[in-house]
Amino acid sequence: MNTHLHNYTYTQQSRLAGYCRTGELNSIDGLTENRVHHYRELVYNVVDDTLQSAFPLTFSLLSEDQWNEIVHVFFSTHECQSNSVWKMPYEFYLFVEQNDLDIKKKYNFIEELLLFEWTEIEIYMMPDVQYPVFKSYGGWLGEVIAINPEHKILQFNYPVHLKNPISITDDNRSEYYVLIFREKESGKVQFMNLSVYFAWLIEKI
Amino acid sequence: MERNKHVGVGFRKDFAEEFLEGKDLTPAFLEVAPENWMEIGGYWKKVFNKVAEQYPIYSHGLSLSIGSSEELDWNFLKKVKSFLQEYKIKIYSEHLSYSKCDNAHLYDLLPIPFRWDAVKHISERIKSVQEFLERKIAIEIVSYYTPVAAEISEVEFISSIVKEADCNLLLDVNNIYVNAFNHKYDAKSFIENLPLDKVEYIHMAGHEQVAPDLIIDTHGEPIIDPVYELFDFTVQKLPNTVPVLLERDFNIPELKELQYELNRLENICKKVWNYEHALA
Repeated sequence: MNTHLHNYTYTQQSRLAGYCRTGELNSIDGLTENRVHHYRELVYNVVDDTLQSAFPLTFSLLSEDQWNEIVHVFFSTHECQSNSVWKMPYEFYLFVEQNDLDIKKKYNFIEELLLFEWTEIEIYMMPDVQYPVFKSYGGWLGEVIAINPEHKILQFNYPVHLKNPISITDDNRSEYYVLIFREKESGKVQFMNLSVYFAWLIEKI
Repeated sequence: MERNKHVGVGFRKDFAEEFLEGKDLTPAFLEVAPENWMEIGGYWKKVFNKVAEQYPIYSHGLSLSIGSSEELDWNFLKKVKSFLQEYKIKIYSEHLSYSKCDNAHLYDLLPIPFRWDAVKHISERIKSVQEFLERKIAIEIVSYYTPVAAEISEVEFISSIVKEADCNLLLDVNNIYVNAFNHKYDAKSFIENLPLDKVEYIHMAGHEQVAPDLIIDTHGEPIIDPVYELFDFTVQKLPNTVPVLLERDFNIPELKELQYELNRLENICKKVWNYEHALA
């Protein structure tokens, strides 16, 4: 901590920030108590809205209580590191992946669903990658195949990219591959289901 | 339609396409948050490059958290510096608040205790940022809904930081109106006691009254008449002409309605600054 800020001042700031993250208020000097809830609501709403926008499928899958519980646990216990709020949902995905949460027992594909939804954002927003020199037609055997560099291949155990999440069951457990890519001109993100062979082939190109 | 001369608008993705395709909104400049536009590619990078070719860009940061106790985020500042250089951005402003505490970002602006140790702490941090960025920054007076452990007045807190850090001031007239209402002080007297020669930039916005004694700074409504009047008063007090920004983050109306607000602000600027210029 910087030496200029006294421990007292830091403590007051920390208590207000802690209240905004957890909803639990410790005594803060000089506070107008009937107004402080606005800070908790403003902060929490930004986080909740950002996560709802980033994970619409997951949000639809969960009940209101399940969603609120997971968002509350995430925000009150996780230390968000992203300066840009749009990147914060990736931390939410990692949090779910790395923690023992009840929701994962009920929906054992939820990590994959979150990763699928996040990767669409990641590919949509990722910095531009230099395209290789290419032409629209050529010979498969005699020339090098150029591939769109703005893509990612994900491997899933559940068809989160193919089925409505509510209808996914253990019977669907298998090996799935999905290619997520950004169209060069429009910037739109598309995805397609791949066979194991095509996933292997694209990774080798 | 001729562009405004002094008044710009906060550039938002919600109206980006309509803005680029039409002629209903003619700001003098656009303001963006670096956090939303740096390190991106694809569609929004193309859009941003397009508007940056057509308009001067000013920037207003969200996550520097100048009031935090922890170390400044040098890696983040390095990216900001590069962004400012790439787009030749003249103004970089930030909030006199904190948005990170105990190593966690909060994504909103919390009020700093008005205390002498905070003055010293923040002044040193602003100096470090200015040295690193090789430019002065403008620090914004934020709206707040409750004081926290204050030992000095708000105006003394702000003025002392501006003096000690030798930084510029972003005067958000709506925030001052909101604070004056919420904390029952005289907005004009508050403004007169600020170091007005340090004002580099003005923000204007709408707000929402949520209780008989409380206004929340939402940026989701049109500017109300008393805030225009306070703006008129402020402009008359300033020793220099400065750029003025209309912020509208939510509940975004037809662009013609935003242009109406820009024009109303522009007319106040013209009335005062053209007259002053004529006198000179």
